[in-house]
Amino acid sequence: MLQHKDSHRSACKSFEEDLVLYYYGDCREPESHRVEEHLKGCASCRHFLEELQTFLPLTAKPKELPQAFWNSYYEELREKLAAIDARESWWKRSFAFFHPWAVPALGTALVLILALSLTLAKGMWHFKGHRAQEEVPSELRAAAGNIDFFESMDLLDSIDFLEALEDKSSANSEFQKL
Amino acid sequence: MCQRGERQAFEVLVRRYMKRAYQIAFDFTRDGEEAKDLSQEAFLRAYSQIRHFDQRSTFYTWFYRIVVNLCIDHLRRRARIPWERLDGKNQQSAGEEAMGDTSSTPDQEAIAGEVKRRLGTALGTLPGKQRTAFLLRNHHGLSITEIAKVMQTTEGTVRVHLHRAVAALRQSLAELV
Ligand SMILES: [Zn+2]
Repeated sequence: MLQHKDSHRSACKSFEEDLVLYYYGDCREPESHRVEEHLKGCASCRHFLEELQTFLPLTAKPKELPQAFWNSYYEELREKLAAIDARESWWKRSFAFFHPWAVPALGTALVLILALSLTLAKGMWHFKGHRAQEEVPSELRAAAGNIDFFESMDLLDSIDFLEALEDKSSANSEFQKL
Repeated sequence: MCQRGERQAFEVLVRRYMKRAYQIAFDFTRDGEEAKDLSQEAFLRAYSQIRHFDQRSTFYTWFYRIVVNLCIDHLRRRARIPWERLDGKNQQSAGEEAMGDTSSTPDQEAIAGEVKRRLGTALGTLPGKQRTAFLLRNHHGLSITEIAKVMQTTEGTVRVHLHRAVAALRQSLAELV
């Protein structure tokens, strides 16, 4: 392999890219048929393909790490995930009673309360009321966005969902062979 | 809603993808410690950002994108990449087999060692996108379509990156006698 400079001559330019894809099994019809027909009659391209077959696997040889490494990796990561939850739990508890539908409702309620306040205490409340109208709903909207996030994570509670996701991806790709 | 349940569900994903995530990070960094930190960081980000995961797409293309982006950002900040460590000597490992088969002669081993060293160096000098496309295809077996999703580009662009990467790697072996 690669011992002679002769063997390193180039493939035909118009076939090189397709040969790379062909090596990886990513060359589709009709290109792959075209490549195969060409390979029959072209020594340079055959050499090129043989070279790819020789050296490309050399760059990719994942080493097996001991199970003990993965056990500690996993435990360490679990602790980090738990720390994220601990950080977010106070915040989440504070807003847990808000649902997306509650945001406009709360906004409306606030407007009503403010309107009431305004009629009861004109002038003095006017400035604060205006602020509240503008700021509170946007804060709540942000909170609701986060609630969506936690609710979307309910999907992840279902292992069936995960399995379905995996089945779909393995059906779509050869990736699972890794 | 039960936070503990969500985390447990996510831990299923961790168990499923931790080896691949680590290996991608290792391919980019050639450093066991950095690979561990980066891949774990990718999981933490995925956990925090899972609302951005479009349920119609597959989890791992979304997740791989997080891993790859973290690695690329990390390499940008890091001055030198020890690409010559293609043999992964920095990766703690017990009972790993030497490259090549056991019946090869010292000469063959020397040539193979030189080939690996050159490939490692060449990989390190590839432009980022070529390297990403190459690592995802050659090391991780992602299809062109999947790589395009991870890199958020077209399949045609991925093909070009891949071809150029392979051509450059092959060129690095050109004068090897
Ligand atoms: Zn040819």
